[in-house]
Amino acid sequence: MVQHRLPMLPSAGEVPWVASVNGTKKKLNIENNAILLDVLRDQAGSLGTKRGCDMGTCGCCSVLIDGEPRLSCLTLAAEADGCEITTVEGLADGHHLHPIQEMFAECGGSQCGFCTPGFLVVASSLLEKNPSPNDEEIKSAIEGNLCRCTGYQQIVDSIRAASKILISEENIEDYTSPKSDPHPGFTGE
Amino acid sequence: MAEETNQDEMVGYRQQPGKLPFAKPGSGGKDRFSSPRDQEMIPKSQGGDLAQPWGSHRHDELISGQVIGKPTTLVDGKWKVTGQAQYGDDIRLPGELIGRIIRSPHHYARVLSIDCSKALELPGVVAIATGVDASNKFGVLPVTKDEHAMAVEKVRHVGDLVACVAAEDEATAREAERLIEVEYEVLDSIHDIREGLENSEYPIHDRGKYHIGEANIQKRVFQEFGDVDGIHDNAIASHKQNWIFSGVNHAATEPHAVVGHWDPSGRLTLYTPQQVPHYVHRALADVLEIPMHQINVYRTFVGGGFGGKSDPFPHEMCAAILARKAGRPVRITFDREEVYWINRGRHPSRIEMNLHADEKGRICGIETDALIDGGGFASFGHVTTYYNGVLHTAPYEIGAFHYTGARVWTNKPASGAMRGHGAVNSRCAVETGLDDLAEQLSVDPIDLRLANLLPPHSATITGFRVTSIGMRECLERVKEESGWDKKFRKMPLGKGIGIGCGFFISGSGLPIHWDPNKFPHATVHLKIDMDGGVTVHTGAADIGQGSDTVVAQSVAEVLGLPLDMIRIRSKESDTSPVDLGSYSSRVTFMNANAAISAAMKIRDELLDATVEITGAKRDKLVIGDRRIFDKKDPAVGISYLEALHKAQEDRGALVSSGAYRTPPMGRTHKGAAAGLAPAYSFSAYVAEVSVDVETGQTKVDKVWAAHDCGKALNPLAVKGQIIGSCHMGMGQVLSEEMRYGRTGHLMNPDLLDYKIPSVHEMPEVFPIIVESNDPEGPFGAKEAGEGPLLPILPAVCNAVYDAIGVRTAELPITPDRLLKLIERKCKAEGINDPRELKSPGLEYSDLQTILSERSEEHKKRDLERRLNEDRQPYHNGALFGLDPTIPPDEIDEKWAVNVIPSADYIEKPRLAGSAWKHTERRHRGDS
Ligand code: FES
Ligand code: FES
Repeated sequence: MVQHRLPMLPSAGEVPWVASVNGTKKKLNIENNAILLDVLRDQAGSLGTKRGCDMGTCGCCSVLIDGEPRLSCLTLAAEADGCEITTVEGLADGHHLHPIQEMFAECGGSQCGFCTPGFLVVASSLLEKNPSPNDEEIKSAIEGNLCRCTGYQQIVDSIRAASKILISEENIEDYTSPKSDPHPGFTGE
Repeated sequence: MAEETNQDEMVGYRQQPGKLPFAKPGSGGKDRFSSPRDQEMIPKSQGGDLAQPWGSHRHDELISGQVIGKPTTLVDGKWKVTGQAQYGDDIRLPGELIGRIIRSPHHYARVLSIDCSKALELPGVVAIATGVDASNKFGVLPVTKDEHAMAVEKVRHVGDLVACVAAEDEATAREAERLIEVEYEVLDSIHDIREGLENSEYPIHDRGKYHIGEANIQKRVFQEFGDVDGIHDNAIASHKQNWIFSGVNHAATEPHAVVGHWDPSGRLTLYTPQQVPHYVHRALADVLEIPMHQINVYRTFVGGGFGGKSDPFPHEMCAAILARKAGRPVRITFDREEVYWINRGRHPSRIEMNLHADEKGRICGIETDALIDGGGFASFGHVTTYYNGVLHTAPYEIGAFHYTGARVWTNKPASGAMRGHGAVNSRCAVETGLDDLAEQLSVDPIDLRLANLLPPHSATITGFRVTSIGMRECLERVKEESGWDKKFRKMPLGKGIGIGCGFFISGSGLPIHWDPNKFPHATVHLKIDMDGGVTVHTGAADIGQGSDTVVAQSVAEVLGLPLDMIRIRSKESDTSPVDLGSYSSRVTFMNANAAISAAMKIRDELLDATVEITGAKRDKLVIGDRRIFDKKDPAVGISYLEALHKAQEDRGALVSSGAYRTPPMGRTHKGAAAGLAPAYSFSAYVAEVSVDVETGQTKVDKVWAAHDCGKALNPLAVKGQIIGSCHMGMGQVLSEEMRYGRTGHLMNPDLLDYKIPSVHEMPEVFPIIVESNDPEGPFGAKEAGEGPLLPILPAVCNAVYDAIGVRTAELPITPDRLLKLIERKCKAEGINDPRELKSPGLEYSDLQTILSERSEEHKKRDLERRLNEDRQPYHNGALFGLDPTIPPDEIDEKWAVNVIPSADYIEKPRLAGSAWKHTERRHRGDS
């Protein structure tokens, strides 16, 4: 292992790269052998996309490329050139969270939260295609994502709950709305 | 309005229902009316409707009906779901350099020379450090400091740190890593744990005069309690099993990462995802030779810990050293592989378990011998060695306990603390042993357990003070909900059901840094200014278990505030009071207690202010939703903000500090403090499995998981902990192992070959929360983070036996291992097709009735003990006819405690016990 470690392959040079990251057009110069995860984290400002293993085993680095869940640690950035990339930062609508985000927080789908970005993008794409998945469908969608904290059960619960919200088209509250009044009146008991 | 008051007509201050008084500065926001207190959440003792089958609690009067006991979203949950939570590698400081670590390719070697010249010439390399830059030792326990930032003299395992480099970017750093030339003299390495017991030419560490023989024994323990000599005369059934447990790793999804930064005022800030920032703080001061106040340890979000981020780590030292040398911030992030090289996972172990039952179905003896593989360093190992023994002396009343344990150094990455620290493997051995005893005695294994439980408020054979016990309820609930009676020993071949129990500490009684001081274990500070929001300063490390949330909940409950008014500042040692960290399942118990006591002080001030404004009697006042009012006449009362502003007159922000320290407990023999805790959690699981007899594949289908957590402050989080524990335990029992090859090489340092269960392997878990209302726990709570892991292993092992009649003694139960056992069994029974095997059956013996009767009696005894405040003491031994009110060793000489092996024992020791064949250097007269 350690003593045989190969030097990183030198890149043949920099190339321009254009992609839409969470709806914003990013024009970057990247090394032509750059990995998408590195570009997202180090250049495109998506620190929400996590690196758990760098070898396609954990799912923490999942992002959507043109709506399809992909492991960004196994994707050459060049492959995503010109594509639409969605990371966890792109799920919310302004200050309104995506139902899947709201429900992960609500139902215990996120404990330490490190795996959460990966699960969220994968689940959001599932719900995009299939707004009311059954448990088996949910499980198949997230089978490539590892979570060490939750034992998955509350993750499945969260996705189920999000699906309900999506179907009912309920609104998710703006998270900047006013918080509790410290000086409440009295309603009588 | 006060001037016109007629004293006769109006008692005090009165508010018209529904009418808002004038707006106050700082007010505004949603929910403009206070909601009435939810009577369902107010305990009976306070006139509410919340039933209290386990009696009242000292915190009952603090319940305002806000959040305690309600499923509560994590207070930092939104940060996590938006990707804004910053973990170790997400800290990016301007001008940062990338650090890499040069690791040993050898198992064991002397470092002869390190040549950095080529690397230094590489453009972009800014700093390189080696062992000479930091020669001070550090470690978790003050008595076992044996680590250096980088190798000084020797490397002790593949992956051990030799040097580190900081460069402008990662590619340069990796290239520099390759260019650093290290010359080694390779030494004979040892890999088999058993070899660690022998004398060796170059012991892996030198303990000076405390060195045991010339061997690699880091710690040895000998303990005897109770009637050890009588075990064999009393026993009518005995179980013996030699277990082999593989090492397992925490495999937290976030690899370790750290950023070191020296600011212009000369202070170091270390950003690190740590479970125990305080130990790092101490270790940094030692290694860098600067005072602690010059260091700010900043705990980032932690992407899973489970014990794997609780040591002060050498790479953390490296980041600080490199940043100092380079004059710029340095970020080091591990590859997944490096996580395995640093390890600190569960010890690979060989455990011999002997259990004995007497004619009344009592457990008349437990004899355990545990040899555990510490790898290259001590880490928490001192404690682990004790925990492998003492943590299985409950929940059962036992007649004798004999324990020999030893931890040896080998040339592997160090083992350390992992969820269920030290208790998991030996618990698995005990619980499967009990299953076997039940089989030998022809009784139901759940009834065998129910008839041998310690009562609430008792002392174990080792003298641990146990307060609340919900073990019986856990067992009864899983038995009922799993349909045990209809399934156990009655399912077809390949289907099985099994039981397992657990017992775990809820915080450790003695802090690891037991300086002769009376420092508290946990401290919480509150600050409330005129805006009404509460800032909570705590050093408790939220590692995803929700400690920030639990502290916020406790404060919110006492002050009657919604959670959105509480903000937690728990990340920086500069602003947080010292906390001992997230280990030993201590955080909820200790920090919530500290938070409650800090909040009580503010509460008092708010109540005083209310008395002043309203003239109401203080003892009639209660706190509800953002309001303080007369319990009988809620119209007499004021808003939280009014009370706060009154209390702030002439002094500004209210501040308070609360602390928690464990009460004095336990006995005085050597090692008596290991395993002491202010409270203990209990759990019982039933697992249902399917085993394919033709392939040896085991699948866990369902788990009924009952855990006694005292009081679930946040049931959502407790359930999450239970299910998560099942997941981790399932991994250990079925698929996870750190596999070392024939030459001692770790073969699977990645998440592909180190198999943690995916969503498809997870069974359906039915979490069952049992609330025994612990007298010292915050609102009655105990731990729920680690204990729930223990029972899953034996429950699965026992279920596999029920399914196919094969007992395993080696974990994980991979298909190849199980298939071998199945084949062996077929051969022994002369069967060709494994599908013709018979799964075990059960015919009750007469003992079954005796046990059922005893357990009924004990149930009454327990009920009476838990409700009766003037209960008599109860010491382990009463079941064997001794006076329960006196410690047994004071009644009967046979029960004397013994911590030194006799010459006879040393003649014929068990495996780990043979560590006692050696004499410490100081006793041999050598230096
Ligand atoms: S980081 Fe991409 S799968 Fe783990
Ligand atoms: S929440 Fe921690 S790994 Fe999933």
